[in-house]
Amino acid sequence: MKFVDEFRDAELGRVLAGEILAAVEPGRHYKVMEVCGGHTHSIYKYGIDDLLPANVELVHGPGCPVCVIPMGRVDDAIAMARRPGLIFTCFGDMMRVPGSDGTLLDAKAQGADIRMVYSPLDALRIAKRHPDREVVFFAIGFETTAPSTALTLRRARAEGVANFSCFCNHVTIVPPLRALLDSPDLRLDGFIGPGHVSTVVGARPFEFIPAAYAKPVVVSGFEPVDILQSVLMILRQLSEGRCEVENQYRRVVPYEGNLRALEVMAEVFELRPHFEWRGLGFISHSGLKLSEAYADLDAERRFAVPGVRVADPKACQCGEVLKGVIKPFECKVFGTACTPERPIGTCMVSSEGACAAYYNFGRFAREREVV
Amino acid sequence: MSCEAGHCITCGDDGVPMHVVRVDPVRGLALCEDEGGARSTVEVGLVDARPGDTLLVHAGTALARLATAAAAPA
Repeated sequence: MKFVDEFRDAELGRVLAGEILAAVEPGRHYKVMEVCGGHTHSIYKYGIDDLLPANVELVHGPGCPVCVIPMGRVDDAIAMARRPGLIFTCFGDMMRVPGSDGTLLDAKAQGADIRMVYSPLDALRIAKRHPDREVVFFAIGFETTAPSTALTLRRARAEGVANFSCFCNHVTIVPPLRALLDSPDLRLDGFIGPGHVSTVVGARPFEFIPAAYAKPVVVSGFEPVDILQSVLMILRQLSEGRCEVENQYRRVVPYEGNLRALEVMAEVFELRPHFEWRGLGFISHSGLKLSEAYADLDAERRFAVPGVRVADPKACQCGEVLKGVIKPFECKVFGTACTPERPIGTCMVSSEGACAAYYNFGRFAREREVV
Repeated sequence: MSCEAGHCITCGDDGVPMHVVRVDPVRGLALCEDEGGARSTVEVGLVDARPGDTLLVHAGTALARLATAAAAPA
């Protein structure tokens, strides 16, 4: 398929790997963070790690929206889903995220009407088919997904679907990046910027990283050739003493973003004063809630939820993984007590989570190293 | 919309290219087809979509129209 196949070209990948090898300074160790879980998944799936020199280390960032949802919000979702007569809709991965007392999937097995959807529009369709029942959509995701929720809420309003509401857990990417950059235990040389978030917000919001923290950012696509080229662009910035935001993903990302998407988000959402991120704690102005204009479609206002903060399990080191402080395999429970089949931490749930990606693909490379 | 093996398209910062089959401009929706031939209804309120276009779709919403002049990959 056009726009896919040419960016998976193995020969081009090998050429880029050679150029990366030529661009590194011997004796220098490079740490580059891929912000986005989609990149993490691609890196392990295509074995991109294996093509990089040993002194170029990819560090996995906090950009998996499933992985950053704290347990208390899952508990709130389950409490809503258990209400008699209510239909609770959510994306597939969220159904397997453990709360303090089980998952949404467990609640479904116990009789709650929980349905997996592929889009908010699917959830709205269910609401229209069941006008006698309340239908809640569990909205998660960064700025990539938020416009989709916003458009659906606008559509629900226009079509007068009164039994539809949204449990909003959308988050924004810049505040956690700032928190990471302010973290004293993290040393990074550059960032592979999130490609599809940038389709919406553009590349401009990342300009503070070179300006205030002197780190290069390259907004990247998700195919192997995209990621290799982005690594090369970061290394070239470093070797040439440059520090700026570059856009490798120009075929999709306009520097200014998608103005229509930003407009509908501004209409439907407003920033929360603070929002809890799993492993990262509370971060100011990092989460979205429904604006006053859409308050009547806000499930948190329509239904009472426990709203209790729940601490992560002690054995779980998702926080350190999300900050890139440790590798997934360095977590005490990785691959033993915590597996994709029985996850303890969220990073093991979603295929975009660093631990699940590493479990599914990366550990084989490690086994080769060990042997 | 189909998922690659082990890869959930609804999560993560992920998008899939889809071809536009038919557009309903009044409702702001389009019938689109993915790489595997699976068809689904897509919100096209954020882009100018025409039949034959390739769109980048995330969670049922088209976020961008893929330019025909793709950036050179190297």
